[in-house]
Amino acid sequence: MTELILQALYSGLLQGGSYALIALGLALVFGTMKVINLAHGELVLLAAYIAYSVESGLGWSPLLAIPLAMLVVCSTSVMVYLAVSRIQKDREINSLILTYGLGVMLTNLILLVWKADVHSTSSSWMQDAFVLGPFFSMNSEILFFGVSVLLMGGLWWWLARSWYGRAVRAVSSNRDAAKLMGINPRSTELVSFVVAGILATFAGVALFSYGVISPSYGGVLTIKAFVITVLAGIGSIPGVLVGALLLGVAEALTVTLASSALQDLVGMGLFLLVLFVMPNGLFGAKRRRG
Amino acid sequence: MKRNTQVLLALLASYALVPLLFGSNHYIMSMVVAALVIGGVALSWALLGNLGGMVSFGHSAFFGVGAYTSAIVSMKLGLPVPLSMLLGGLGAVVASAAMLPVLRLRGPYFALAILAYAHIFRILATEWKPVTGGAAGISNIPRLPELLGFDFGSKTGNYWVILSLVVVLAFAYQRIRKSHYGLALRAMHESEDATRVVGVNSTLLKALMLVVSAFMCGLVGAFNAHYINFLEPDYAFSSVWVTLPIVAAIFGGYRTLTGPVIGAVAVYLVDQLVFKAIMPSGHQLVLGLLLVAMVLLSPDGLLSIARNMTGRRHAAA
Amino acid sequence: MKNSYKNLGLVALIACAGSWSSLHAEELLVGVEVPLTGTLARVGGGMHEGILVAAEVFNKTSKHKIKVISIDDESSPAKAVAAVEKLASQGVLAITGGYGSNNIAPASDAASKLGLAYVTSGGVDDSLVSSGHKNFFRINNTAGYQKAMVGLLGDMKAKSVSIVYSSKEATSSLAREVQKTLTAQGATVASHEFDPAITDFKPIINKIKLQDKSEFIAMVGYENDYVGILRAARVLKPNVKAIVGVWSLATSKMAADFPDLMPNVYGTAFLPYPAEFKSADGKAFNDAYQKLYQKEPDYLGQFGYVQATLLFEAMARSADKGTLKKNGVIDELNKTDRQTLIGRVKFGANGDNPFFSHRMGQHQNGKVVIVWPKEEATGKASFPGVPW
Repeated sequence: MTELILQALYSGLLQGGSYALIALGLALVFGTMKVINLAHGELVLLAAYIAYSVESGLGWSPLLAIPLAMLVVCSTSVMVYLAVSRIQKDREINSLILTYGLGVMLTNLILLVWKADVHSTSSSWMQDAFVLGPFFSMNSEILFFGVSVLLMGGLWWWLARSWYGRAVRAVSSNRDAAKLMGINPRSTELVSFVVAGILATFAGVALFSYGVISPSYGGVLTIKAFVITVLAGIGSIPGVLVGALLLGVAEALTVTLASSALQDLVGMGLFLLVLFVMPNGLFGAKRRRG
Repeated sequence: MKRNTQVLLALLASYALVPLLFGSNHYIMSMVVAALVIGGVALSWALLGNLGGMVSFGHSAFFGVGAYTSAIVSMKLGLPVPLSMLLGGLGAVVASAAMLPVLRLRGPYFALAILAYAHIFRILATEWKPVTGGAAGISNIPRLPELLGFDFGSKTGNYWVILSLVVVLAFAYQRIRKSHYGLALRAMHESEDATRVVGVNSTLLKALMLVVSAFMCGLVGAFNAHYINFLEPDYAFSSVWVTLPIVAAIFGGYRTLTGPVIGAVAVYLVDQLVFKAIMPSGHQLVLGLLLVAMVLLSPDGLLSIARNMTGRRHAAA
Repeated sequence: MKNSYKNLGLVALIACAGSWSSLHAEELLVGVEVPLTGTLARVGGGMHEGILVAAEVFNKTSKHKIKVISIDDESSPAKAVAAVEKLASQGVLAITGGYGSNNIAPASDAASKLGLAYVTSGGVDDSLVSSGHKNFFRINNTAGYQKAMVGLLGDMKAKSVSIVYSSKEATSSLAREVQKTLTAQGATVASHEFDPAITDFKPIINKIKLQDKSEFIAMVGYENDYVGILRAARVLKPNVKAIVGVWSLATSKMAADFPDLMPNVYGTAFLPYPAEFKSADGKAFNDAYQKLYQKEPDYLGQFGYVQATLLFEAMARSADKGTLKKNGVIDELNKTDRQTLIGRVKFGANGDNPFFSHRMGQHQNGKVVIVWPKEEATGKASFPGVPW
């Protein structure tokens, strides 16, 4: 039993790392613009499908698909931004509905281009076992956990040290004051969407490498990302990692100890629990709830 | 007076003309009934949004709970279908009671928390095998009965029932809006703090609206169960019952009374009859595009464009 | 006077001749209601391909011409009903297609009210054949899969089996049947249900490895599930002698897409790969499929082909007898009894095909070899054997 639980914890942590990659882009845009990009999951999925095309068409490792995927996904992300920035009133609600519509469009585009088959990497290396003592995992899982941590570190550094990064933080905490300081909020928001696109690209390639993709998966990803963003609390990057790890471990433990049918339930339950008990998330800044 | 005449004419056309013209064309009638089901959900969604001020992404929860409750009650307890449908609505109300703690949350949090509930109910329906039949679902759900010599289970009968349902719901919506509850709710939107100061219990009002919206949606879900005669968790709680009503309501204008229903009929029929014929496998893309276009160009919906074009001004809901 | 009578007679003769010849050259309209979008797009699309190939092959060899009208039911029951109704209004003589019992039930119901035969291979739910409809026909069922899986495991003398199955209806009912039969034969069976949304199967495989310690793993799910299970197994390396699955597994696509996961894995398959079609029927099927779609047919296409071909043949017979408008198609379908790509098909009174029994294939060196039942085997099973 202990072995089972330990392995579950390990698997859960690795899975959480990948979840964090998926959630980061959504969390960043949410923090900057207070906009929930419901098409984010589709952006991740788009990157995954490009990785598939590169692997099956050229025979390359999915990692080499990253530059092309980044180009496509970031352009799409920018288009989402342009649409969202056009909204005049009731931005919170209207952006929800707008990005929802964009998500539907993207899902159907993916279906039209790549058809409905399921896909995943056929690379041997990605699927080979990586054994660490009593712990088992796939190479791809370890790899992308590492990538996730690195990217998160990079993002955190960028937000703290670079000019654009600090501008993003300034705009998210007080838009008008930031304007006064000479920051152009619109270009900052654009930057945050581009960065979200970069994060989505890595998340998508990771997804293709360790999991199975199909056109309808975009919505599932968006929901996971949102659950983690709420768990984390707005404006907290390390919170996203912790929230994602928490979700991954909770899911793995539920599957191991109880029934796998409850895996989804755990995510939803955790989500609601945090909303009731700690609406600011684990690490969020204090905000009015009412 | 002119408005009332218009309404009466529209109702007459709907009740009498439609079955007369299309009654024998089962295909068109199927489309219309399905569109009205969406319209009913859209109406309940818009009510929650307008009067309750809460946007929900999880109305499929009420739809599914209403459907299952009605199906189970009519099959396991043998109750007559109309009564089962009412109980279906009440079942959805009970479900909404579980959601009351979520009322305190703001905008997007509430919207997605309701979605979480929808997922949870779907999983419940899949796992609670002895009652709900699990993933297999429930088949051979009884149809609407014969009353006064007319078979309401027929296509036209079903049509009249759902039409009446939607009309009654719209009427109820109208009454609530005009009542002093409606006034209080509108004031609440302007400033929740101010209304609280005056003594309006905003949380209670919001809860009431959630309950009403749930009841309406549950009724429509129950009808659908007895119309399709088959139910399973993925269908009852499908995201279709979330997306299409929202598209319909936005398209038709969610601030108005008739907007959601007209939007539903327009969107559904145009999608199935026109887009599907032109693009058999990509037409859902057009729906997404429609939604995007609507939000960007006319967030108040199609009807407001129509009204602006005819030069009439209508007081905001 | 005489002339006008003669003229009248001539006109009447020509009219008769005209209708007589049209009777022979008439186009037989067939309605296809399948999911081409939505959650069932993959399986619906596969079935659709098979049906279109069947029409192509049939039209080459028959004096009657089949014309297929297809409508996407978008994986939704309401739209499935609407599709059937629309097809009926366009004058189809029968409906084939349908996937998922929740869509098939209302759709075949609607077809029944319209007096149209409904032939499918996409619904295994028992309620479909127990609702008393005379128009419903299906060529496969859960029992056929169960016979194959249990047969293979029995031949391998399995004493302890762990079944991993998706909580969807078709998969869980099959898993339950397999468990019942295996337990009755004296084997120890452990069942692990999983939600279709699961992507990481390591916890379940770990339970099988550490708690069940079974010698065999049986999987009942879909392609994405198999990939996940096999990946987890490849990482954790439980001590098993064989891994057996059902549909969508012993296919050329799986062999090509996942060469590291498939070696020695068993799944249901009617034909080996590379396909060896012994019958003329099979060759015609394969050639037409390759020409139309430039790829190997899979089990979905095979089923779609068989269900459609049987329907077309019944319709042709009915057309010859002139009973098309008088329930002829349904009567002829009831008389169907022949060998097909999937074995013998004869419909019982309830519309089910009790002769349906699948075969098991094994992935060996990138190919698929039929290993069970012995009469149909094209090679020996590599046993014990796992993908690592």
